[in-house]
Amino acid sequence: MTQHCLDTPPRAEAAAAPPDAGSPPVHRVHHARADCTADSAGGLTFRVRLFDETAKEIKAPEVPEAAAVLLRLRRHHGPDASLRLPLVRTAADGGLRAVLAGTALLREGRWDASLVLADEEPQRLLPGVHDLRTLASHVPRETHAWLGVRIPYTTKHGNLTLRTWLRRPHAEAGALHLGDGAMALRGRLYGAPLTATACLEAHPRDSEVSPVRVPVRLDDEDERSGHGAAPGHGSAPGYGADARYPARGFAAELPLSSLLPGHRMWDLWLRPSVDEEPVRLARILDDILDKKRIFSYPPQRVTSSDGAVHSARPYYTVNNNLSVHVSDEDGGPAQAGR
Amino acid sequence: MGKMRISFLIFSAYGMGGTVRTTFNLAQALAEQHEVEVVSVFRYRDRPFFEPGKGVRLTSLVDMRRHRPGYMGDDPEHALPARVFPVADGQYARHSALTDRLIGEYLGSTEADVVVGTRPGLNVHVARQTRRGTVRLGQEHLTLATHPARLKRLLRRTYPRLDAVTTVTEADARDYRRTLRLPGVHVESLPNSVPEPDVGSADGSGKWVVAAGRLAPAKRYDVLIRAFGEVVRERPDWGLRIYGHGREEGKLRNLIDELGLYNHVFLMGSANPIEAEWVKGAICAVTSSLESFGMTIVEAMRCGLPVVATDCPHGPKEIIHDGTDGLLVPTGDVGAISGALLRLINDEGLRARMGAAALTASARFDPSQVAARYESLMTSLVNRRAGTLHRARGTLLGGAYAAKDRIRQGVGYALEGARS
Repeated sequence: MTQHCLDTPPRAEAAAAPPDAGSPPVHRVHHARADCTADSAGGLTFRVRLFDETAKEIKAPEVPEAAAVLLRLRRHHGPDASLRLPLVRTAADGGLRAVLAGTALLREGRWDASLVLADEEPQRLLPGVHDLRTLASHVPRETHAWLGVRIPYTTKHGNLTLRTWLRRPHAEAGALHLGDGAMALRGRLYGAPLTATACLEAHPRDSEVSPVRVPVRLDDEDERSGHGAAPGHGSAPGYGADARYPARGFAAELPLSSLLPGHRMWDLWLRPSVDEEPVRLARILDDILDKKRIFSYPPQRVTSSDGAVHSARPYYTVNNNLSVHVSDEDGGPAQAGR
Repeated sequence: MGKMRISFLIFSAYGMGGTVRTTFNLAQALAEQHEVEVVSVFRYRDRPFFEPGKGVRLTSLVDMRRHRPGYMGDDPEHALPARVFPVADGQYARHSALTDRLIGEYLGSTEADVVVGTRPGLNVHVARQTRRGTVRLGQEHLTLATHPARLKRLLRRTYPRLDAVTTVTEADARDYRRTLRLPGVHVESLPNSVPEPDVGSADGSGKWVVAAGRLAPAKRYDVLIRAFGEVVRERPDWGLRIYGHGREEGKLRNLIDELGLYNHVFLMGSANPIEAEWVKGAICAVTSSLESFGMTIVEAMRCGLPVVATDCPHGPKEIIHDGTDGLLVPTGDVGAISGALLRLINDEGLRARMGAAALTASARFDPSQVAARYESLMTSLVNRRAGTLHRARGTLLGGAYAAKDRIRQGVGYALEGARS
């Protein structure tokens, strides 16, 4: 019979430390987990639990003053690519907490979370139980001038990492309806004024060809009763990332036949006015890390002027930006690209 | 009876099914007082999907990890058909002469006071191969009624060699008593356990209906999606999240697209821990045609969610008090399901009251409570085995749960001597 005892993780097999009745020294920390709780102001609290080599939790641990949760932006260096969050003991239960304030500015990307104890090498944090319910029914209420989202997740190696987005302005994609050869889209623009000259633009990827443009109309109707309403986007008009530009709902209709001439990937952008730069359409204001896997839309058959049948399907990219994939298959499933 | 050595025999402790979860929950709770091991017949992964829990020893018999030197999948003995593990068990094909031998060797030499089988095929092993003096307990995690006829005939022949059979519902225990008539075998219903979640309860404000389970035909997610289509017509601000993977995924995806529900119904994939997902929702929906127990119902209730469930055999009605902590609706009835969902969606007060009631009522499924019932059953069985008949009887009959089996118990003692 092969045997292994799960209370003894492989790398501690050789060293079975005797039980210590006193206050456990920090060097006995074998691994640490963080339970993340998202608050309604965009902040994230890390409740850090320390475990010894027998996977037993070290209750009310003594940690050095300098103990912290360290966030490091993957593949980046420099002062804005790492952030130390001091670990503080809570009066209530003696547990350890670190807080990432809603106002803290984190660049967009993936931030690996580690535990730092004194001068030791940072040790990757393991995920615990995350409470992200405030993200699941997100209503952005930030008073600062940018929109930030942080979603803790477990990497394929089992470690804790934060996926972050930082946008200003931001065009949030909402309900999307497909039919009659067109894609009807509703969304909400944050941090920029929406003008009468606003338009939705489809940019062919990897090409300098000018984009396809369709007009955008204001759409501030109540989402609860509105025809195109969808869950998870209960943001109230007037609340936005920037008090100067209250968030505005918009709607646009893109004929899919306009995307046919020769290009396969089309990235969707919203241009708030002729004088402004376009804003990438994305869906980031909720608790779902990877939209591509979960938001799926039926492929639409589109016939081009030469009679050829194409299949067009909107999809979310790995960065949760909205794009459209066009394929030649006769109505077959389009393989969404990156 | 002081400390017992308790051993659970399971097909694979490395999977993500309900049996694995409930076995670990129970094992961990029992491990607070007793020495507990979980013996996994197969080992497919380095680490189990769920944590077995503190103090629980996990071992395996057949290493199926190809990258390991101890890989046993290519053992010639593993190519020979099983003779002890019954053909009638759905997992027969995975078993072999090798598993027969290794399980037999384990059961014949175990030091455990109590061995617990966790599926019919393994219960047959436990009944036939466990060494003398060890208590033999067979768990039924499915239902007798759904077993094929030849499996039932086999169980009728073999289970008399067990000391006790546990079912997860009272309805199934009645079936066992009535249709198998196992002489001398104590039959008791002991529900699956679900620990208190590590996250705060749902507050009923998230506009999500949440469902979770394998995307299998018996879960009837097609019915749920159709019912939710009716909900969306009235309340487009609500959404449905379905957690889990399974072979129905493609079909369900097509149904969502066909009904134009892709803005409202989401196939979320699997999530662990699931309680973090329950609390984002306000209502749990279970629309199965069969639910031998209904783990997700209890999980959601422990998170403070009222559950809308179909009144299918056997679990839901033994968990939900209709109208108090949830709503029971006729199986397969799209209109009734959407009606019940809308009743809760449109009445915040009702949702809050039922959610609170669900939280209170589901505490009876806490591992400590279920383990205490297992402990008292095991203790009495061990005492009975040890021949301390009078004391054992006193203990057994003292428990309220055993009252229904009083007469059968008597028969059991009379036949004790006849057992091998």
